[in-house]
Amino acid sequence: MIGLPALLYMVLVALWPLGQGLYYSFTDYTLTRPGRVNWVGWENYTDMFADPSARRAILNTFVFTFAAVGLQLAVGLGLALLLWRESRFNRIALALMLIPVTVTPLAVGLMFRAMLEPDFGILGYWARVLGLSPTRGFLADENLALATLILIDVWEWTPLMALILLAGLKSLPTDILEAAEVDGASRFQRFWRIIVPMLLPAIFLALVMRSMDAFKIYDSVFVTTGGGPNDATNVLMYHAAKIGLEFFQIGAASAVSTFMLICVGLLAASFVLMIRAAESRLGAR
Amino acid sequence: MNRARVARHAGQGALLVALFVFLFPIAWLFSTAYKRAADIFAIPPVLTFTPTLRNFETLFEFFNVPQLTLNTIIISFGTAIVALTLGTPAAYALARLDRWWAHGIAYFFLAIRMIPPVAILIPFYLMMRDVGLLGTYWALIILDAMQSTSFVVWMMFGYFRGVPKEIEEAAVVDGCTQWGAFIRIVLPTVVPGLIASALFCILFAWNNFIFPSFLTNSQTRPLSVALVSAYGSNEINWGTMGALAHFSVLPIVALALLLNRYFVQGLTRGVH
Amino acid sequence: MKPSQTTSRRMALGMTAGLGLAAGLATGRSAVAQTTAPMTLNMACMNDPFATVLVRLAPLYAQRTGVRVNVDILSYPELLSRITADFVGRTRNYDLSTMDIVWAGQFAEAGHTIELGPMIQRDSAEIGLDDIYQAAILGIGNFRGRQIAFPFAAYVNVLAFRRDVYERAGLQPPQTMEELISSAQRLTDAPNNMYGWAANGRRGPPVAQDWMTYNAQIGGSILGTDGRPAINSPANARSLTVYRDLFRISAPPGAVNYDWAARHEAFRQGIVAQHQIWTISIPSYENPEISRIVGRTGIMLAPTAAGMAKRYGIGGWGLAINAGIDERRREAAWGFVKWASSAEVQRQFLDANVGVFTRKSVVNDPALRARFPFLSVVDESLTNGDADFRPRIPQYPQIQDLLGTAVNSVLVGTADPQRSLDDAQARAVRLF
Repeated sequence: MIGLPALLYMVLVALWPLGQGLYYSFTDYTLTRPGRVNWVGWENYTDMFADPSARRAILNTFVFTFAAVGLQLAVGLGLALLLWRESRFNRIALALMLIPVTVTPLAVGLMFRAMLEPDFGILGYWARVLGLSPTRGFLADENLALATLILIDVWEWTPLMALILLAGLKSLPTDILEAAEVDGASRFQRFWRIIVPMLLPAIFLALVMRSMDAFKIYDSVFVTTGGGPNDATNVLMYHAAKIGLEFFQIGAASAVSTFMLICVGLLAASFVLMIRAAESRLGAR
Repeated sequence: MNRARVARHAGQGALLVALFVFLFPIAWLFSTAYKRAADIFAIPPVLTFTPTLRNFETLFEFFNVPQLTLNTIIISFGTAIVALTLGTPAAYALARLDRWWAHGIAYFFLAIRMIPPVAILIPFYLMMRDVGLLGTYWALIILDAMQSTSFVVWMMFGYFRGVPKEIEEAAVVDGCTQWGAFIRIVLPTVVPGLIASALFCILFAWNNFIFPSFLTNSQTRPLSVALVSAYGSNEINWGTMGALAHFSVLPIVALALLLNRYFVQGLTRGVH
Repeated sequence: MKPSQTTSRRMALGMTAGLGLAAGLATGRSAVAQTTAPMTLNMACMNDPFATVLVRLAPLYAQRTGVRVNVDILSYPELLSRITADFVGRTRNYDLSTMDIVWAGQFAEAGHTIELGPMIQRDSAEIGLDDIYQAAILGIGNFRGRQIAFPFAAYVNVLAFRRDVYERAGLQPPQTMEELISSAQRLTDAPNNMYGWAANGRRGPPVAQDWMTYNAQIGGSILGTDGRPAINSPANARSLTVYRDLFRISAPPGAVNYDWAARHEAFRQGIVAQHQIWTISIPSYENPEISRIVGRTGIMLAPTAAGMAKRYGIGGWGLAINAGIDERRREAAWGFVKWASSAEVQRQFLDANVGVFTRKSVVNDPALRARFPFLSVVDESLTNGDADFRPRIPQYPQIQDLLGTAVNSVLVGTADPQRSLDDAQARAVRLF
């Protein structure tokens, strides 16, 4: 079967290291002491749940994921609808709109940090002076820091959402759409009764893909706030990377990543169920 | 007629606003390339400045920009090609399979994308050392393609499911092989999906940072890694980063403009 | 398309040729002359200002010795992660690396880099060991008697202040910490974009390192006399309260999220009256391309609390050689280390406006003294240098992280200094 190469590839490249990671999560493997590896059972996991920093990271990660992806979906769908029609303007607009996605996320983080700097940033300075931002700036405020990171993520990835949804819109069979128009259905009806149900696979794809990536947010946190102020932007991936790549405690870091994997899996599964329900309710395939 | 035109202009207006929001930060980033470092963060910040090309000079002195760009292109396109080659047939097979576990396997592919990078980075690093591929393009292409194939399978799975079986069956009846029907009849109908998938694979590999920073050496380093290393010392700074960003951004824009011509409405005509 | 294959083939050829030559050479001669066969070394280099100078000078070294050094410039966290992965994974990607002063403990304990003691002894005449400041040798790369890196870019902790701002206000530069705090307050004029003081506030290494510096100047200490953590001592709690108040009263609004880059940018843009810095940054203030305060900066020894003895904090970078590489590469790498720390090259750093100081002859050179008046401060500091300004123990990364969180939480919120430090202490103790 032609599907086989892909499957084998996955198993080799992904599952093997993953299995190793899972094994490590039950040990105290530290990269700087490779000789002494002991089995510690669930200790890494219990430590994680006992750590208030880690617990806050769990909360922040979920809040971030839902808020960012939700906003991206809404705005992305709006943009996709606006770009649906064939026209030179739309083609160029789409290409230009993909630019935020082409800058590496780490650089995007650095860019926004520089712009939002309350002492000399082109956006941050004026926001502070005009009273639109707290004196310390958006990123140093405990209540606004996470929201700011969410908006940065929205800025960066909405165009990609729009692209996926647009591809879905363009793949819709034109004959059905034309028939609906001829039949006199209103725009609203056309949208909800015909377009959305047929677009559900694309929406699902966009939702799941972006959620999985948003859950793993790291780059912007790393360069803007370092997880602060005071854990306000601490997220799981940052926490894991710090433990694994700064302290070199591979065991503990693997526990955090395994936990992340489970969370994302449950998230994706719930999306699947939700979309299935929506599909059957809206009468599509 | 008038209402439609007003609606269209309103739509274009909204798009222009969106474009401004998306492009202003990029314009700022690019503008740092043309400013003296002392002017980039002048207080209070203003939009006017006296232009200079020194940053580009510094950039080319300390970075082998053609090599970096070439590396990035090789890695991204390599990833896309591998991912599309592996993923598209797999997606088609799954879409046409009438078993209950077809969905299960599709979910399995999806699950691959859930893996946090830090979980597999070190084990993969050691694995690449053991097979002697550390520092080559292949190490990175293999890892990136893993995540991209997952995406391709999922994306094309949805599109293929949307293509009615009757089209291929008609072609087979007319004398086509299964494979021929796939290539000549089915694939053209999902071209928008293929283009979007390819773009996505390229984009994902293009600006990935953490994998290349560990798996490449100074010869095979892509732009994303250089971009971050540039920031920090006194001589290499924001201006140089802004200059380097040009090379990171413009090729993709060119690519997107190029591919856009094929990104058209689906070619399904009345299928009755 | 396998670049590594071509490189390894070339390396193999080079090695075979080199072996033949090396066999005929007597020992005792300098290592630089031995490696006449072409060889390429890879070096991981921190992206501090000395990096660009090394990149420029590497071709000259290649011409002289036939050894090409690829200088890979990496950012701080990237550097540590990658070379550690390289050491532990035994991938031998890097033959040499710059090593931060505080990493000595980790590296020594794990045996990542070779002990340079025997080589230093053997080549001591060539190096001119007496010319190198003792504090630099002991501080950078020496851990419990084992020298696992060689200093080449020592930094001194000094106070950089705006002479013009002080003169305008009719104040004298601060001789004690108390004076610094009061002058910072008086010089702060927020509506006119002037703030009396700045330091890093960002969670993690930035705030941890800056606070550790201030703490030492005020009389606190992270470790007790027994070498175990004493984070929640009354002295430390007091200094943290002072630090917090400085932020609230005299620092720019964005300071609670500053790292070094942002802080230096603020100073160069002219909105900060004074701050403690490492000497590496001083020349950048005089560069009109990047600074708006050219000619207005004064440098002095960072003041300590009234009644306290002076403290001479030193920091900086050394060069360490990968323990996983073979004898020939080690010698070649050692040759480069000696060259980079030689008087000739150290002078070239200063010529390029990069403030690294390791040798007495360079620091006391009359021509350089005329150009950089602050060298007198440097000389005094390095002669009396205190390398344990910040703990250089193996658990340093975790201690730094604990402090990074504790101090940041005090700065941004209403957390009580004593309680935050108590919390950090409890966790630190578990590391030992």
